[in-house]
Amino acid sequence: MIKIRHEGCILCAGCASVCPVGALELVGNKIEYYPEKCIKCGTCVKVCPASVIRLEK
Amino acid sequence: MNSDYDIIVIGGGPAGSTFARIAASEGQEVLVIDKRKEIGVPVRCGEGLGAREIIKQDLDIPRSAISADIRGAKVVGPDGQEIEWAEEGVTDGWVLERKVFDKWLCELAIDKGAEVRTYTRAIDLIKEEGKIAGVKVAQWGKDEHEIRAPLVVSAEGMEAKIAKKAGFNTVHRLYDVDTCYQYEMKHYDHDNLIELYFGNSLAPRGYVWIFPKADRRANVGIGIGGDLANADKHGIPGADPKVLLDRFIENHEQLKNSSTLDDFGGVISVGAPINEFVKDNFIVVGTAAKQVDPIHGGGIALAMEAGVLAANTALKAKEKGYTKESLLEYEEIWKQTAGKTVAKRLLLRKVMEKLTDDDLNHIFNNINHKELETIMSGNFAGPVAKVVAGRPQLLKVLSALTA
Repeated sequence: MIKIRHEGCILCAGCASVCPVGALELVGNKIEYYPEKCIKCGTCVKVCPASVIRLEK
Repeated sequence: MNSDYDIIVIGGGPAGSTFARIAASEGQEVLVIDKRKEIGVPVRCGEGLGAREIIKQDLDIPRSAISADIRGAKVVGPDGQEIEWAEEGVTDGWVLERKVFDKWLCELAIDKGAEVRTYTRAIDLIKEEGKIAGVKVAQWGKDEHEIRAPLVVSAEGMEAKIAKKAGFNTVHRLYDVDTCYQYEMKHYDHDNLIELYFGNSLAPRGYVWIFPKADRRANVGIGIGGDLANADKHGIPGADPKVLLDRFIENHEQLKNSSTLDDFGGVISVGAPINEFVKDNFIVVGTAAKQVDPIHGGGIALAMEAGVLAANTALKAKEKGYTKESLLEYEEIWKQTAGKTVAKRLLLRKVMEKLTDDDLNHIFNNINHKELETIMSGNFAGPVAKVVAGRPQLLKVLSALTA
């Protein structure tokens, strides 16, 4: 699972552009997360310029 | 097949709007869908555009879309060495108001007869007898329905979900992106030059930029290598772009006293374009095809250039049923033209990221704006010879440029 702190999100959708499995998507004014697709690789965590994504055990 | 349109374009950015403008002006029924509530918003861009690029399209950008006129660039090395490169007719350009610019480009498409729908997200491809036949969309976050057309154009930008579903490799590796944070700031008094600051501690595998805007404002941003980004998370070493940018601003004589008007950011493609841009009934154009300059991360000019090229090809391909073969011309011409420049810039990027600050200092101390121009035109041999003469150990790294 990842956790997104939406208040700090700048809606750049960088996470969605690097997610290898399409588990993140900018929909309207929010990043949507589809946990059933997530493989917990942490790529989105590294790329997020606003550092609002955390990986949770 | 019963079609609602000739062409569906996904994404109303510069690539999509340009494609739609050209196709609609030749009488095609074009629908542009954009998942955003408003065309051009949110801005995820440094907003710079070189004048030479757009003159080719014979477009007259309205004054309201231009924030500041730019004469050229000031490039700054790790030790503060400055190279100023401003040459009329070569380095002129603008810092845009992207919101206004994107809307204007989209309006041009509407003026030519294209239809545009905002807040309309493509969810999936529709296939009929194995062939792409349109897209399934959700409007206003609900109202799922199908829209049919024999040609679907992905101008989706960085995310490029539908292009991925169509089988294109649109996912970015961390090594092939820069992660960026940017503030719009005020006050910043400038000399109508864009400023680029290089250094491994300042911005690992990237740079800090100051792009001046109107009314004493400026976009101040940083881009760093995606694979080097973000420290202190799960023990992954790296750098936080926002922390580095804040540090740069604190140490900047003018900016440390300035306010922020906007926080924005994004992830920029700085790798190679995707291998193929077309397949039966489908075209990928602009940033979705990773058509971005790997050195400066600029995508607007390349997106518009590809938009024209792809639309002209599509017009001819209509009577052939938009087969892959009939769409290939766009891909082939692009690879012979813009693609050559992009490939050279990618090579330069991959060499530059191997340089230490000592190497960079030596280079900044030994080249002038003329050599900078030579390098940016893709002629590396002369400048490399000059730089290596004073620092032979650079030969090993730089020889990749002259091989």
